[in-house]
Amino acid sequence: MVRQKTGHVILAALWGDNPVFRQILGICSALAVTNLVLNTAVMGAAVIFTTALSSLTVSILRKWTPRIVRMMVEVLIIGFYVILFDQTLKAYWPDMSRNLGPYVGLIITNCIIMGRAEAFANGNPPGLSFVDGLFSGLGYACVLLCVAIIRELLGMGTLLGMQVPFFSTPLWDRWIIMVMPPGAFFTLAIIVWIARTIQPDKEPKKKVGI
Amino acid sequence: MSLRDRIWYPILYMAAITLISSAIIILFGSLTRQRVQDNQLIAFERAVLGALHIGEQELSSPSAIHTAYSTLIRKPDESSAGAFRFIKDDSLIAYALPLEGPGFWAPIKGIIGILADRKTVTGIAFYEQNETPGLGGEIVKSAFTEQFKGKILSDVDPALSIVPVSVVLDEHRVHAVTGATQTSTRLAEFMNETIVAWRNRMKREE
Repeated sequence: MVRQKTGHVILAALWGDNPVFRQILGICSALAVTNLVLNTAVMGAAVIFTTALSSLTVSILRKWTPRIVRMMVEVLIIGFYVILFDQTLKAYWPDMSRNLGPYVGLIITNCIIMGRAEAFANGNPPGLSFVDGLFSGLGYACVLLCVAIIRELLGMGTLLGMQVPFFSTPLWDRWIIMVMPPGAFFTLAIIVWIARTIQPDKEPKKKVGI
Repeated sequence: MSLRDRIWYPILYMAAITLISSAIIILFGSLTRQRVQDNQLIAFERAVLGALHIGEQELSSPSAIHTAYSTLIRKPDESSAGAFRFIKDDSLIAYALPLEGPGFWAPIKGIIGILADRKTVTGIAFYEQNETPGLGGEIVKSAFTEQFKGKILSDVDPALSIVPVSVVLDEHRVHAVTGATQTSTRLAEFMNETIVAWRNRMKREE
């Protein structure tokens, strides 16, 4: 039973209710940091770290948290983990910290994390909430990585800063626009389109059922 | 009436949560503060050495950078008008002039190295910038910075120009990063202002 539930939560977070292309949550950072694959990977790691641990903490505290202050507590917990991650980057990977600039701090306002805390962790046991947070973060990171791979390859002709056959040669005329903000919109829209074509909306069917 | 229904409970709860999490963050912050400061210092020292093209290959570790910096570089004095001095065997080899100005998103800070003749550029390096990665951010890459090596500062303003890739280069010109017009324009502007101001002050000192 528990295992079945966990499996269901994982599948929903990665695909069925993927935060980016199903719920269109947290796309502000999805657009901002996805022009280089390495930056995106670190950003994804930061989000996974924060969603998993903040969901866990919110879930542990849920029985003691008064309802009227619960959102304040959630933001506080999220901020706590984001600052820890940001400080760690500043101390141990200063170059990356400079690359990501304000975006690590802005994870506090990433709606995926608040969304998981509100929608899931508030009403579920800690273990399951942790899994839900972890995989919601992973689902987000996967989509971001797809966007980043397409953008870096077409816009810079490299992957993770390394040369790639054909794209790094003069044969490939770099699409500068892919590295600029509009490139993120095009790429994300196309990915959402493809994902939704493979897995069409369930909502109209539900309405017929009722 | 249980504890949770009391009117002061949410306030106390919030205060307790805030206290605990802030305490952890403050503790963590104080543990890493020294490291963060060291990182900033090393980034600056690396930029100074990079602009002067001192031992790029062998200076990979922070301690090697710090040692080289402290033996070769002297703080600015009146004779250098704000520029750091590269001294070897008691003679002045070059100046490292700090540059600072607005970029496209956030301030850009860097160093330009100028030989003791006050004309020949040894190089340029940046230690703080937040330009668009892949576009303006490319100013830190060697493809851009290597162009400065050996350029001559022009006597007329601008001392150094950053021109589009379509323009032919000469000894006062370097090519801009394609697609990063704003970054290049702003960088060229404050770089030239700083160089001109420094040259004028140097002339006054004589």
